Amino acid sequence: MSTAGGSNPEYVIARVRARRSALFGDEEYRKLVRMGPAEIARFMEESEYETEINALGSRFSGVDLIEYALNANMAKQFNDILDWAGGRLYDLIARYLRKFDAWNVKTVLRGIYADSSRDEVKSDLIRAGEFDDRLIDRLLDATEIEEVVEILSGTMFGDGLEAAFEDYEEAGVLVPLENAVDRAFYEQLLENLVVGEEAEQYREFLEAEIDFRNARNALRIARSGADLDPADYFIEGGTLFRASEITALATSTSELVSKISDSQYGDRLSGAISDLEAADSLISFERALDSALLEYADTLGYVFPLSVTPVISYILAKEREVDNIRAIARGREAGLGPDEIEEELVIQ
Amino acid sequence: MIEAIEPLMTALQNETASSPAITEGAAAALSVGIAAFAAGYAERGIGSAAMGAIAEDESLFVNGLILTVLPETLVILALVVVFAA
Repeated sequence: MSTAGGSNPEYVIARVRARRSALFGDEEYRKLVRMGPAEIARFMEESEYETEINALGSRFSGVDLIEYALNANMAKQFNDILDWAGGRLYDLIARYLRKFDAWNVKTVLRGIYADSSRDEVKSDLIRAGEFDDRLIDRLLDATEIEEVVEILSGTMFGDGLEAAFEDYEEAGVLVPLENAVDRAFYEQLLENLVVGEEAEQYREFLEAEIDFRNARNALRIARSGADLDPADYFIEGGTLFRASEITALATSTSELVSKISDSQYGDRLSGAISDLEAADSLISFERALDSALLEYADTLGYVFPLSVTPVISYILAKEREVDNIRAIARGREAGLGPDEIEEELVIQ
Repeated sequence: MIEAIEPLMTALQNETASSPAITEGAAAALSVGIAAFAAGYAERGIGSAAMGAIAEDESLFVNGLILTVLPETLVILALVVVFAA
C-alpha cells in the first residue's frame, strides 16, 4: 500500500491503532450501564470526548449533550484520519467515509418524511463525509423530498435518487429512496478497486458487508410484510445472493436463514442464527451481523497490517462505540436496567 | 587464431590476479555503505510508525526511539567487516 516511497501508511496505522486501543472496553461499558445520563457525561469528560463535552456542555445537557458530543467526536476523529492519510490510502478511506454522506442523506429524508424539526435532524447528522457544510445546510433547509432529490442531482446519489423518487411517489414509503442511496454508496466503493493481494482482501471484506446488508434488507422486507419486491433493493457486488433468488428467499425466513448458515459466514454467525430461529427477533441478528463484520475487519487488519483494513476496522469499532454509548444513555433515560441495556450492546 | 589470443589472455589473467578491481578496503567500505542504506530503509517505516504512536501517546517516546534505531545494528555488524579486512 506504500505509495511513491513514502511511509504514510505506517504513520496513519500507528496512530489509528493507538486510538483503537483507547476505545472503551468491557470494563468501561460495565461501569457505564450503571450510570445516569449526567454521570455518563462526566465519565466522557474524563475520556477522549473531553473537548466535545466541554464545548457543548454550556448549551446542552443530559442525553442531548451526550449525543451531540458523540457525533461531533466521531466526525472529528474521522476527519483526523483523512488529514493524516495521503495517496492511495486517502482515496480508499475517503471512499469508505462517504458512508456518512449516505447516512446524512438518509437522515434528512427520514426527517422530512417524519416532519421532524430542522434542529432535530441536524443533531443526527455526522459531518465526516465528503459533503461540505453548505450542501448539508441546503439539505437541512429543504422541506420537500423532491427538493432534496434536486439538490443532490449533481452528486453520486443523484441518478439513483431520481429513479427511486417515482417509486416513492407511488408507494409512499421511504425504502426505495434509502436503498437508492445505499446502492450508490456501495457501487462507488467497489469501483476501480485496484487488484493486488491486499485490495483482494479488502474487496472480500466489502463483499461481506454488502452480503450482510442484503441479508438484512431481505429479512426486514420479509418481516415487515410490505408489498415490495426485494430484488429492486438488491445491492450488486456481494457474493452470497443473486438478484434473481433474493425474491424467493425473502418470502420465507427459514430458507433465507439456512442459506446464510450454509455460506462462508455460517461459522461466525452460528450463535446469532440459532438466536434468530429461536427468538424470532431481528434485533439480535442484526447485532450479530455487526459484530461479525467487526471481527472480520479486525482479522484482515492483522493479516495485512499496512493496508487500509486496520483503518476500516477502527472506523467500524468507533461507530459501534458511539452506538453503544448512545444506547446506554437512551436506555438509562428510558429506565431500562443494566442487564437489559447490556444485551443491546455490540461489544467485542 | 586462438594461438594469437592466448598470450594476451594469460597476460590479462596475470594482471587481475595481482591487483583486484576492488581492493579490500574498498569492498569493506562498500559493505558498510550498503548496510547503512538498508538500515535507513528499515528505519523509514519504523520511524514514521513511531512518530504516529508518539503523537497519540507521549509516553511511547522511549519505546519509539529504541525501535527506530534498532536497524542501526546492521551498520555496526557491517563495521566489523572493516576490521576483519
